[in-house]
Amino acid sequence: MRTRTQYIPVSEAEAGMTLAAPLNVIKHRQTRFSLPAGHMLTPDNLRQLTANRAEFIFIAEPDTRSDEQIAQDTALVAGRIMEIFSDADLGDPTTMALFDQILAYRSS
Amino acid sequence: MPRTTVTQDEVIARTAGLPSFPRIVTEILASLDDPECNLNELSDYIAHDPVITARVLSAANRAANRAPAIRDVYTAASLIGLSHVRQISLLSSIGQFAQIAADECLPSTYWTHSVAVGVCAEELAVHVAVPIDAEAALIAGLLHDIGQLWLFRFRSDAFAMAMERAFCRGEGIENAEREQFDVDHARIGAWLAEHWKLPPAIVSAIDHHHKIFSPPNEPLAPLIGVAEVLASALDLGGRRENKVTAISSSACTSLGIVFNEKIQPLFGRIEARSQHANRMFATGSDSAHATR
Repeated sequence: MRTRTQYIPVSEAEAGMTLAAPLNVIKHRQTRFSLPAGHMLTPDNLRQLTANRAEFIFIAEPDTRSDEQIAQDTALVAGRIMEIFSDADLGDPTTMALFDQILAYRSS
Repeated sequence: MPRTTVTQDEVIARTAGLPSFPRIVTEILASLDDPECNLNELSDYIAHDPVITARVLSAANRAANRAPAIRDVYTAASLIGLSHVRQISLLSSIGQFAQIAADECLPSTYWTHSVAVGVCAEELAVHVAVPIDAEAALIAGLLHDIGQLWLFRFRSDAFAMAMERAFCRGEGIENAEREQFDVDHARIGAWLAEHWKLPPAIVSAIDHHHKIFSPPNEPLAPLIGVAEVLASALDLGGRRENKVTAISSSACTSLGIVFNEKIQPLFGRIEARSQHANRMFATGSDSAHATR
């Protein structure tokens, strides 16, 4: 199944959601709580996240869009990025690197 | 419209027509070296502000998701953590201040952009190699355009024209402001921050946030400049004028920021936190839609 990833506040997390990336809650340079990518959250995990004051988590959600819809969305996003960077000097390596990473982030 | 010079004397004189700068911001700044102390002092202070109290209790009850409801700030602070309480206090108090100071003439995108830059700055402060206090970064980000708020309030027509001129030319607002007022919003903001006795690092960060080169040994200034560019690049704050013209290579180098695939989780966190903060801390007419 195709998925799309998203950061959400822990207060909006629900049991059954899947982690898109490893989760490490670090406080005062000590790992207080860890879960692997692909882990499905349980009610206990949610309580632990709250107790450890985690604020945001990275989850993978089913992507129910059609190929056509995905292509349309991608074109729309790319168009907006081109508009934002339309006056930028993309000959500058740092600006170009930022542009590339924004495009890659939005495309994912 | 004829050129109308704005001077430092005028900016300071007109602050008499603005509300007092929120004391909780200076209280928090004074205790930055010890983020876990002063729970009693902060809680006492918050308990006198019904808006901040409601937001702290709301965050704690969402986190706790249980009955009976949490009804006091002390219990709420122990559950969600003092740093979260301080963050809520800063966003609430500066947001209320901006709304009242602008006297209803403030476009909603002013605040959504300020929140976006504040969150970007706070996240960058945690990400970069140079030690920068994250709460000072949040405050500097929230206040970086405070000079625009002054212009909205006291030179609204000329400022609206300067904004339109900048948008049509596809350039930063600061050039159009200097043509119109002989000074830009960054300098006006720095005058205000100095008047409110904010720390020199925050004054300097507000003053230099549009400059390619920042003063040496003041990492907060380049951080706010990079945060503003990132907020525009990620199209945060819902502004049509979100544009990237350049990002300072020297600022990125001095902070140790490299734009490669490893930066993408940071983009995700910034975007999620910015959207969440803007839903939670919307001002004015937006706030009716913000309760969740």
